[in-house]
Amino acid sequence: MKSSFQQRSPPQPQDDSETDEECITERTHYPAFMIPDLFTQLPLVRDALVTSTSQTQDETVDTCLPYLAGEDELFMYNLHGVPNLDRERHIKFLHSSLGRLPGRFLAADASRPWFLYWALSALAIMGEDVSSYREALVDTARGMQNETGGFGGGGKQTSHIATTYAIVLALALVGGEDAFEVIDRKSLWSWLCELKQPDGGFQVFLGGEEDIRGAYCTAVIIRLLNLPLDLTPTSPAWTSDGTVDLFSGVGDYVRRCQTFEGGISGQPNAEAHGAYAFCALGALALLGDPRRTIPRYLDVPRLISWLSSRQYAPEAGFSGRTNKLVDGCYSHWVGGCFPLIEACLSSPGAPDQAAGHPANAVRLPPVPESLFSREGLIRYILCCCQDQSKRGGLRDKPGKMSDAYHSCYVLSGLSSAQHQWQLAPSGTEDDSTAATVDLVWTVLPYLDDVQVFDQKNLVRPIHPVYAIPLHSQQAIRSYFLAKEGF
Amino acid sequence: MPPKSKAAPKPKGTEPSKQPTPTPSPASNTTAVPATIAARSQFRYDDSRPHDAARLKIGLAGLPRDEQAAWISARFARTPAARTRLPPKAQRELWRQVNEASFPVRALRGSKHSWGRDRNESEVSGYSAERFDEREGRRAQLTCLEVASRGFRERREREGKGVRDIVTGDKIVVTEAEVEAERIRRGEMAALRSELYGTVQGSFALDPEWDDIVPIPQGEPEAALAAIAYPADYDEAISYLRAVMLKKEYSQRCLRLTETIIEMNPAHYTVWLYRASNVFALKLPITDEMEWLNKVALVNLKNYQIWHHRHLLVDNLYPTLAGNPDELARFATTERKFLTQILVQDTKNYHVWSYRSYLVGKLGVWGSPEELKSIEDLIDDDVRNNSAWSHRFFLVFSDPAHTTPGLAATEPDPAAPQDITDREVEYAKEKINLAPQNQSPWNYLKGVLVKGSQKLSSVEDFASGFVKGLGNKDGSEAVQSTHALDLLAEIYAEKREKEKADLCLRRLGEKWDRIRIGYWEWRRKCLEEA
Repeated sequence: MKSSFQQRSPPQPQDDSETDEECITERTHYPAFMIPDLFTQLPLVRDALVTSTSQTQDETVDTCLPYLAGEDELFMYNLHGVPNLDRERHIKFLHSSLGRLPGRFLAADASRPWFLYWALSALAIMGEDVSSYREALVDTARGMQNETGGFGGGGKQTSHIATTYAIVLALALVGGEDAFEVIDRKSLWSWLCELKQPDGGFQVFLGGEEDIRGAYCTAVIIRLLNLPLDLTPTSPAWTSDGTVDLFSGVGDYVRRCQTFEGGISGQPNAEAHGAYAFCALGALALLGDPRRTIPRYLDVPRLISWLSSRQYAPEAGFSGRTNKLVDGCYSHWVGGCFPLIEACLSSPGAPDQAAGHPANAVRLPPVPESLFSREGLIRYILCCCQDQSKRGGLRDKPGKMSDAYHSCYVLSGLSSAQHQWQLAPSGTEDDSTAATVDLVWTVLPYLDDVQVFDQKNLVRPIHPVYAIPLHSQQAIRSYFLAKEGF
Repeated sequence: MPPKSKAAPKPKGTEPSKQPTPTPSPASNTTAVPATIAARSQFRYDDSRPHDAARLKIGLAGLPRDEQAAWISARFARTPAARTRLPPKAQRELWRQVNEASFPVRALRGSKHSWGRDRNESEVSGYSAERFDEREGRRAQLTCLEVASRGFRERREREGKGVRDIVTGDKIVVTEAEVEAERIRRGEMAALRSELYGTVQGSFALDPEWDDIVPIPQGEPEAALAAIAYPADYDEAISYLRAVMLKKEYSQRCLRLTETIIEMNPAHYTVWLYRASNVFALKLPITDEMEWLNKVALVNLKNYQIWHHRHLLVDNLYPTLAGNPDELARFATTERKFLTQILVQDTKNYHVWSYRSYLVGKLGVWGSPEELKSIEDLIDDDVRNNSAWSHRFFLVFSDPAHTTPGLAATEPDPAAPQDITDREVEYAKEKINLAPQNQSPWNYLKGVLVKGSQKLSSVEDFASGFVKGLGNKDGSEAVQSTHALDLLAEIYAEKREKEKADLCLRRLGEKWDRIRIGYWEWRRKCLEEA
């Protein structure tokens, strides 16, 4: 495969209409792209010792380098050696992933709600109107809802917190009363109470495993649907004195998931993993003002150190764990942590942090520019994660098949890298009030010294906590805030 | 039921010999046997209606006079209502002509009959007579089997109702032999149906054991999004699963059903949960289930459900082990062996490692030298295996024997023994020396120092060994490990040597770890705040 990069084909005349003159000039005068050598050369510090980890790492770098260096024949690059986001193909790919899936998708039979969320979210990020899916989604979602509360991975399957989360987000994305009213909030609430465990965490389904996904998904569902926090007496966590509610102990549970490395594991005592970092921060941000809740429960400097370590050069995308490979999906799971953290550190009026984790005793300063290389992530996404064959869609890394999952999270990551969020000052110290739940988030495109992508590749911002567009989040929450009773 | 048109016309008394006669036959002037049954029917049809085809083609007036007369006579002969209206003389004349011409009195009815299609979607009408007869033979065979099968079902129903045999007066009992015979019969029926019609029957519908279950189909709306086109066998199995789950049946057959579905789709969490319920309800030996699970796990490495299932099994088994240290140790060894085996295939499998830490906690084997040794082996194989490093940290610093409960992982623990901390610091240093740019042991080292309440500066000399001439502009600056530089920055900050710390961070951002410049710049800001 590598040898094909040696031969460079001249620009195809039929592409002229899509490309500006400069690009063509640049292509013919290779190698004149403005690509910092950071992204085209091996890292300065390397060990001689070969192990299976270093082997796969080296192979990955070899695979990515030609794409990062502007040597892929399928792409048209701009001056910075960055190709356009191939919206048309990705959109087509995503629409088809919502259609009828062939039998080889059998393994997805218990996670179809995820496919709905991934595809709808990815489409929404690219600015597509997904409300046309409302009617079909309403029918689909109804068939997956159980009378005992929650949604299963398909019709007549046990309710699962992750698939319920995915359905709720998908319904929020298509929007509208018909979509919102699909959800039986009362049975959902009592089911969540059943999942709540005495140690503060949540099982992912009745009798299922307990992990941090449970905490994040539950928190998102509770806030979006404005569910009460009270526990039913049948909840395993219920106490007669009424002091325990759905959010009790969640912060401590999250705290027990932070590891010695600073990252977050799926359940206490496991390895720090990118996907769970996002869940942890999201869960804490939904308990109250994240400027208070995050430092209260987490060692923030260690966490930031670990998150930052996930970005390697030259690939410049994120890995999910120490000594693991770059993967496009961590553009969201890891990359998506930064907008929230940067907003917490940099927004004016950050509340007093002193009461939190001992490591946060020192006031943490605002971020001068950005905690991660946005340029690097954008390069990795646009150069390495796009399937530029007819198939379209986004992927883990070159050589992997695109899919709805990666399309969603790669684009979410792109959105995080292109935008900057701010939190308005919080007027209250009490986390339980609506004022802290409905903090005012504002967003602007992030202005880098050098913007390496063309303006038309700017995607829509997504909420740093709910991972859907701000207006979708506000619409569903205000709908249920206005609603009396269930 | 639609009126059944006769597939094959019966020979009629008045009909002449079936052999094509020298009399020109209207449709086919062939002398050979018709090639297909459709052609044969057409031939028979035309043969029973002399001159009709020609008349339709060219009109009655176009026929020779004798043929005209014959056609008219034939019409009258087989239309009693018209015939009786003829004067008696004309009737006699008619019969005379009929006798002379000896043409058939009865004509076959219209030929719009559809013969249907076979399994290959070919028209059966295109079959040769022999082939058609063979097919009809099979159909008859199938009908016989269906009748017998219905008989079996009825007997079984009667058995269920406690009905007595009319002849013997005994209660009807369906024997194993009868069930077996029925199973074979259904196999034959399925084979015949497949051969005749190409219909594939699910194995559950064929199995008499499942007769009492009415499968519940998926029932998805037509327009459902991302609907999966189920393979037929999966579709059937899942329909039976829904039915047995609804009636909360726990049985051996349900266990087998879950196995079938898990083989097809191990990611189906509902079926796993139901399987666990079966295992516990039937009080099956947990060890048998674990043995089965081992096989499944080895072919499905990336799967959440397998490991949660195992977790449930261990929770269930644990009370029987708790009072018996030997049993417990034996179990721990078996599990370790299996985990080692599975980690060979995927050394960083997150689910396996999460299960392993759960198991250590459940069995309370933190201090097990075998467990620690097993982890060391993995680190020796690949010193960059961060999962193994993480597990080691858990083994060493979560051991309740010397851990203060309730502390965060990055908080110092006064209960951490000095000798253990020292041992771990040495271990980490030794591994760092093998590959200084490997972040795992650096994170470990820092983690150990913090837990053990050691000053970071206790490793200043060690870390400095990987950095030469920092800040020199003469090209003598050399960094063997960016992680050493990172740690040195923290060490200098701890020692309040801000400028030195700042230099480390600046050089990281400027040269040695440029991708993280934003982070290093923020760290420099942190220095200012301190």
